Amino acid sequence: MALIDLRRRIRSVDNTKQITKTMEMVAAAKIKRAQDRIEAARPYALTMMEVLENVGERVSVGQHPLLEVREKIEHTVVIPLSSDRGLCGAFNTNVIRRAEKLIKSESADGKRVSVFGVGRKGINYFKYTGNEFIGEKREISDKPTFQDAKEIAADLITRYTEKSVDKIVLVFNRFKSAMEQTVVEHVLLPIKKESVKGEVDELSANYIFEPSDDAVLDKLLPTYIEALIYRSLMESAASEHGSRRTAMKSATDNATEMIGHLTRSLNRARQALITQEISEIVGGAEALAD
Amino acid sequence: MADKSLTCEIITPEKPVYQGEVEMLIAPGSDGELGILPLHSPLVTTLKTGEVRLRYNGEWDYVAITGGYLEVNEDKAIVLADDAEISSKIDTEKLKIEKKEIEEKIASLDHQHEEFFEATIKLEHIENKLRVAGKTKDKS
Repeated sequence: MALIDLRRRIRSVDNTKQITKTMEMVAAAKIKRAQDRIEAARPYALTMMEVLENVGERVSVGQHPLLEVREKIEHTVVIPLSSDRGLCGAFNTNVIRRAEKLIKSESADGKRVSVFGVGRKGINYFKYTGNEFIGEKREISDKPTFQDAKEIAADLITRYTEKSVDKIVLVFNRFKSAMEQTVVEHVLLPIKKESVKGEVDELSANYIFEPSDDAVLDKLLPTYIEALIYRSLMESAASEHGSRRTAMKSATDNATEMIGHLTRSLNRARQALITQEISEIVGGAEALAD
Repeated sequence: MADKSLTCEIITPEKPVYQGEVEMLIAPGSDGELGILPLHSPLVTTLKTGEVRLRYNGEWDYVAITGGYLEVNEDKAIVLADDAEISSKIDTEKLKIEKKEIEEKIASLDHQHEEFFEATIKLEHIENKLRVAGKTKDKS
């Protein structure tokens, strides 16, 4: 390859490397923040679970529409949490593949399956494959707020209580560490009874409920769903940043390696050119000397 | 002091907002305000949008909250709110701008529209915060 082409390629790879390097650093900073947010949300989630368990112990939980397990499940909703932007490794592919598998197995049982898309990548994919949509939400995957979770929850809860939907499953990347994320499925509705009825010590049996235990449960269960969605959104966001960091790190490493190769080729080509020039000059001089 | 105070925590899904010892707490229960003193019986109640008042050393602190729950157990009062802000930390300038935007939106929407309902609730939350923001620590 000509020298000029090699130089041009090195410059182009170097530019790419700068971009991936920057994205890597940005993602690394965002992981930290996303992790802090998960951490900050923990007290709320824990306390709420505790209250819910206390209430669950008191009332006959089977009565509540959100806890009722329907005998015949006709309509399942799958919620894949994907990202709005790409360049984050296998993050979206993993979620999409898992969700697709779930959709296939559910529809194989003769159920109607629809998608509630979160994140641009997932929405685009499932629209492309022609899946039925019941809702979508974009531009939140990077930094989800509780309000976002509330809006999603409100829509789903209405559908569930109206009985137009019988089962809701979240598919998302669980954040294990900055290096490791795994895709999990979580059944959002119906709420598992075990998560409401926990181990309760004797003291809590004496709780006073205002206005009544049923009224508290009525409000508490939707909040539980909201908190669950919020947590999943945050885990997904943290995973996205983690996945992007890993992907960008390997991209940067690859670019460095490639620049190394290209520089070596460039030097060799330049050396060859010089050698050739010298031998031409020497050859010419010898020809003249004769 | 030690035998006459209770621990109070105000937590939102996004972050813990307040933690400290208080002598008394007044919360906006959905059936009316309720005051919690140390040695209160275990209690769980739903809250409506309003203010939580906390008294410590004779001084009152005000926290604006947007819906939620209150759990009292063993001298510990935990408020779980959808949103909460201590009066001194409320950004009134920003809220005033938001209020104006929401009011314009409400004026432009049809009363039957779903968003109309949502917007009115939002406006109520903002007005609540603005009202609480005016209150600073005072002696009683």
